[in-house]
Amino acid sequence: MSFLLSLLIFLPIAASPLVYQVTKWDRKRGISFSIALAVFLLIVTAYVFWQVYAAPPAPGSYSFVEKYTWVNFPFFGLDYLLGVDGLSTPLMFVTTLLTVLVIYGSRELINHHEPQYYALLFLFEGAIMGVFSSLNLILFYVFWEIVLIPMFFFIGVWGGPRRKYAAMKFIIFTFVGSTIMLLGFLYVYLGMPAGMSSFDIPALAGRVPDGIQYLPLLSSFVGFGVKLPVFPFHTWLPDAHVEAPAPISVLLAGVLLKMGGYGFLRISITLFPQAAFEYAWAFMAVGLVTMFYGAIVALLATDLKRMIAMTSINHMGFVLFGAFATVASGNLLGVQGAIFQMFAHALAVGSLFMLSGFVHEQAGTREIPKLKGLRLTMPRTATLLVLASAAAMGLPPFASFLAEFMVISAGISAYGITAVSVLVPVITAGYFLWMIKRTILSAPERQAQVHDMSLADAASFAVYLVPLVVLIIASYLILTPALPVAQYLWHLVST
Amino acid sequence: MMLDLLTATIVTLAASSLLLPLLQLRRIGPANLSGYILAAVLSAVMLMLGVYATGPTQSPWFGSLLAYDQLGTLFALVTVGVTLMVTVASFGYLKDVNNPVYYSLLSFTALGMVLLSFSENLLMLLVAWELMSLPTYVLAGYDRRVRSNEAAVKYAVIGAMSSAVILYAISLAYGLTGSIEIPAVVRGLVAQPSILTALTVLLFIAGFGFKMSVVPFHMWIPDAYEGAPTTVSTLLAAGTKKAGFIAAIRVVLAMTTIYIVTHSPLFTVANVLAVLALLTMTLGNIAALTQKSMTRLLAYSSIAQAGYILIGFVPFANNPSSVAATIGMTGALIQIVNHAVMKGVAFLAAALVLYELRRSDVGAYNGLAKRMPITAFTLAVALLALAGVPPLSGFWGKLMLFLSVAYGPFDWLAVAGILNSALSIGYYGYIIKRMYIDDPEVAGRVAEPRAYVIVFAAAVGLIIGIGLFPQPLINFASSAVANIIPK
Repeated sequence: MSFLLSLLIFLPIAASPLVYQVTKWDRKRGISFSIALAVFLLIVTAYVFWQVYAAPPAPGSYSFVEKYTWVNFPFFGLDYLLGVDGLSTPLMFVTTLLTVLVIYGSRELINHHEPQYYALLFLFEGAIMGVFSSLNLILFYVFWEIVLIPMFFFIGVWGGPRRKYAAMKFIIFTFVGSTIMLLGFLYVYLGMPAGMSSFDIPALAGRVPDGIQYLPLLSSFVGFGVKLPVFPFHTWLPDAHVEAPAPISVLLAGVLLKMGGYGFLRISITLFPQAAFEYAWAFMAVGLVTMFYGAIVALLATDLKRMIAMTSINHMGFVLFGAFATVASGNLLGVQGAIFQMFAHALAVGSLFMLSGFVHEQAGTREIPKLKGLRLTMPRTATLLVLASAAAMGLPPFASFLAEFMVISAGISAYGITAVSVLVPVITAGYFLWMIKRTILSAPERQAQVHDMSLADAASFAVYLVPLVVLIIASYLILTPALPVAQYLWHLVST
Repeated sequence: MMLDLLTATIVTLAASSLLLPLLQLRRIGPANLSGYILAAVLSAVMLMLGVYATGPTQSPWFGSLLAYDQLGTLFALVTVGVTLMVTVASFGYLKDVNNPVYYSLLSFTALGMVLLSFSENLLMLLVAWELMSLPTYVLAGYDRRVRSNEAAVKYAVIGAMSSAVILYAISLAYGLTGSIEIPAVVRGLVAQPSILTALTVLLFIAGFGFKMSVVPFHMWIPDAYEGAPTTVSTLLAAGTKKAGFIAAIRVVLAMTTIYIVTHSPLFTVANVLAVLALLTMTLGNIAALTQKSMTRLLAYSSIAQAGYILIGFVPFANNPSSVAATIGMTGALIQIVNHAVMKGVAFLAAALVLYELRRSDVGAYNGLAKRMPITAFTLAVALLALAGVPPLSGFWGKLMLFLSVAYGPFDWLAVAGILNSALSIGYYGYIIKRMYIDDPEVAGRVAEPRAYVIVFAAAVGLIIGIGLFPQPLINFASSAVANIIPK
């Protein structure tokens, strides 16, 4: 039996006290140690990613499976069950990649309580790895909840002026969502026919009786919908993203939101396919509303970071929309596009958040109307901001547009009317270009002195953007392992 | 002839209760000698109970007065454990006043709780109940402050009332069935449903409900917990409250087939318990949200937790042979164990803050992580566990409690429980926010006594340990569940 997934989960968690001690003893060494550890985890994840790409597990099966009995009674049993497929490995890879970049970017942006910060970062990383690799509902829930604790402190301790409010709002929203989600899992466990009760996803997939699919689908929609977030449950996101320090916004948008999209694919559709099929139109409608809502509010935002946060809502709407487009139509591009979108969004929006942190650090404000002539005052930052915006709005040579194209075409094959969704990328392009016009192309107010990021910092952004360029040629790196996932979901829906 | 360990336990506790006050006569030696002795005695008792739990069943010495089962052992272990925790934490609290007497009263309470855990006879139960309650009335007023005395009086009056209610129920039960042995009483009452039978059941629920802090019998709780010395509040919240639960389990739960109103299937024991559970957890959580004093907040949270525990009784009362009943009762028992640890240590942390900072309002907790880092961390872990955040011990209790009602006629109770659980993060998270995110009003580290640190470390270890490896505890609890249905 493989041990790599357990290593990816428990090495960072076990190392976090060590990181705390080393950073407390010497800040520089602590950060170097953190980066070394994060790079090691990245390499292991890359190996897992490559293995899954080279030999994608057949539909409905998983690679690197680990199974142990955790709790065992005649009336109640739990397995420690881990496994990955083409849905989880891109997300795990992007998580470890972003963690390296976030540690690198935090050197300048985080200036107090650093030992705690880096220790919590690894606790967070380990828990996220657990979320993306657990195949047992309760184990999944355990990691899902552990993620909240470091995030609560990240926002509350290192955040902006309204950090206390944002942290409480974050924890209450997500905790309420996840407890409701748990209720659905319990309902399924007890509602299963005698002898078939289980919390293991592979044991439940395709076996949950039709009658008990509807309520758990609804409760999981609340849990995952809060995280994604979808339109009525999104209000925690602008506050959390705006108040969190820039590196943490990267993790929020790049990793935390993906938990929602992952949950929809891994749990909602896999376990409750008939109910999902019946109500696919409703989920698609919610996705569509979320897309438009995010785009329109982003258009109106004057805070650069708030605008980027709204872009996240907009982009995550595509994930929900694409996933359920496949359920409704059988067009596999929807699920593939959703997975691709999660990967591309993490990098594009991650780089934007980090850049907004640098802009704030150097210009002292993030208000779009107040930022003027960045092309002259901070040429490197401005160039990167243009590139990252291009990536976010789906402009070639960045691969993001592939995802949007796949999702929209799957949507059209489900319901022709959803062709209106092509307007969303248009609005997205509109607000990004308008932002660039106002902040970068405008004339500087006075002869402000040049105050830009270092070349090394600028180079680090290549790590965000280059994979997106590579993916336009090598999109099969994600789409090939994603195909069996999509096939399996459609198989469950159609039988 | 081998002395059985249970008898040895009871004899040891009785001896320490009676002999400790003699130390009052002594003029020399360490100030806390009696405390150390009691801690040693309680540790020994826990060890004996632990060995007793794992060993073969031994022949009883007390005839049919005591049931020698795992259920009793579980409760005895929990209550003695809480008393030990309180004893160790009291080392720093009581330097001067009458401390041998204080520890002797603690010992008496422990003895009462141990006897109550095993009682299988209604008169034995009443005697144990009084043995447990009377010393706590004195302990609640031990501070000699007006508030403390007021709390003690209030608590004593309510306590006496609950004893009276129980006694009345016992007399009815005896009149109806001609027996005071619990299994015979249960069989007799079930066999002759009538309005008097229903009244008996309701009186038992009410009498035990006072101690269990079930709404609507909860009114005295916040005042008593706030006024009593906080270490004593710990004993009340984590210890004697559990005694109410064991009494209810032994007496009331077995009477599942009784309709509270004759021939009306709406008023079954299960339905009454379900409504009490709903009221208790909802009222406890909503009241806790608005509290400005930490002890009151913990008191209301304790009421809410009683509501969660009651959820586990419902499927059992509905159908004792179903899977849901086993899950529910196991969940209730492990939640009782976990709650003793979580709430006990949370109260002790509050006691330490009160003792060091002389304040108990929530404002005192601002920036506590900088001033008392160990206390703050312990309290944070305890509060997260109380909220049911995995992978801490409280998660498993809540998981099994909610699981037991998640599907079937009481699914609304699971929804209510989950929503309540979600609501509770509002005040638990709020305190954690104050400790870790807000800035302290006064700067500077505050010393944390070693006795407390030991208790805190043990409790945090238990909370995390049970959280990661729940199997042994669930094992113990499920073997205790087997004892609930009387032969």
